Amino acid sequence: MVRAIGRVGVTIARHAGGMGLLAWRTVSALFTGQVSFREFLYQLYAMGVQSLPLVLVTSILSGVVTSQQGGYQFTGSIPLYVLGSVVTSSVVLELGPVLTAVVVIGRVGARITAELGTMQVSEQIDALYSLGRDPVKVLAAPRILAGMPAMVLLVGIANLVGVLAGMLAARLTVGLGHATFLYGARLFWHSYDFFYSEMKAWVFGFIIPLISVHMGLLTRGGAEGVGRSTTSSVVFMIIAVLVADAMFPPLFLN
Amino acid sequence: MIEYHDVYKTFDVPVLAGVSFRVESGETLAVVGPSGTGKSVLLKTTIGLIVPDRGDVIIDGQSVFSATPDELQAIRRKAGYVFQNAALFDSMNVFENVAYGLPEGALKKLGRREVLRRVVRALEDVNLDPAVVLPKLPAELSGGMRKRVGLARAIVGEPQILLYDEPVTGLDPVNAAAVDRLICDIADRTHVTSIVVTHDIEGGLSISDRVALLEGGKLRFLGTPDEFRRSTDPLVRAFADRKAAVEAAMAGSARAGRLAEEKSAALP
Repeated sequence: MVRAIGRVGVTIARHAGGMGLLAWRTVSALFTGQVSFREFLYQLYAMGVQSLPLVLVTSILSGVVTSQQGGYQFTGSIPLYVLGSVVTSSVVLELGPVLTAVVVIGRVGARITAELGTMQVSEQIDALYSLGRDPVKVLAAPRILAGMPAMVLLVGIANLVGVLAGMLAARLTVGLGHATFLYGARLFWHSYDFFYSEMKAWVFGFIIPLISVHMGLLTRGGAEGVGRSTTSSVVFMIIAVLVADAMFPPLFLN
Repeated sequence: MIEYHDVYKTFDVPVLAGVSFRVESGETLAVVGPSGTGKSVLLKTTIGLIVPDRGDVIIDGQSVFSATPDELQAIRRKAGYVFQNAALFDSMNVFENVAYGLPEGALKKLGRREVLRRVVRALEDVNLDPAVVLPKLPAELSGGMRKRVGLARAIVGEPQILLYDEPVTGLDPVNAAAVDRLICDIADRTHVTSIVVTHDIEGGLSISDRVALLEGGKLRFLGTPDEFRRSTDPLVRAFADRKAAVEAAMAGSARAGRLAEEKSAALP
């Protein structure tokens, strides 16, 4: 039992060290101007623009479901204008950033790990080294640096669309007018909530590509190894995002 | 000149167990030996793609494993590495793959026209038609063509050292002979120092100035192809004489015995 806990501790420490080094080298590459701007823009497009349709679907559904459930619970007991506040706060503080992160993990994080893992097992990473290139600068840095602005934009859009979808659903299901919904939303709204939400986006946008790149570069053992590291990467990313999410309220809401 | 000093490497089992020898400038060395005996690992340690547990590799007086990151990049730029499965970048076409063999920033420094000229020359050197292959993706090429593109990428930067990891494995005899010929031509034309890891003994003996035989992670033999052929070491004999090796392996096989009897019965 003690040995097993020790092994897990060593594994976590090894991964944390590897990711710390990767983050440090990425920041160094950024400040020494060794990151290709073209590759950064391409990754921003791949992570941000190409994830947008799925993010829109999840944000619409999350707004609609929150609105419907709130309407069901409040009808006859709590003034319905409170629904505007509940939907806005739920979407902006929690559902927007977390659901967007889950979408990006599945769509982008898994792809990055599989892509770099395949490059690793087919010796393409070794080929980069042999040609005097640093894979961290060529492959890792553009992906890690693009993750943050991509997530900030996606979460901003997801929040807006989620609230609008919730407002529409409130009108269609419990007959709450837009003006009343917005009155309720404004009543308990703090401008800080928006920054809180975008701070989460920024952190998730750093965690997701960092873990996916790290796991991709650690891949060993052919096609099976790529599958194994992609699965592990998705699990680690989800756990890391949820742990980071759980740390936000005590750190930034009190 | 490349010098290996007491190189040790263990993964789950010892792979290299104290390998020391040197390759002179302009020389072509073939490295042969049983599978899993550390040939490819030795090749990868040459430019620091694998870090040994102990020992060092010295290239032109510069230690690979004491080098700073910048020095290591400079050492790697001296060398061209031909990977077993070519290791072409999937997302790039042939032009981009071969151009990647030029120093970083070559497109800006040399201009697109000069880069194209060098890429075309490298492709012609490996007997590929640039007009046909330049826009193709690696997935659209045959195994032989991929190997040649990998070779073109390795030579386009005019390296002083070429490292070949099983360049003819998986090729038919005609294509294998063509790649062997290319290795000879490049060595003759550029006087590059070459190390060729191969399972193709005949090819290896015909292209090399010297042959090294690794066995159990140790250097078992090092000498000229003639010395290799004349050696009395049983393992060297087994490698040098493929027919004898096959007969020794088949000794006691009922099927082999039956086939041999049928063959002799069919003789007039």
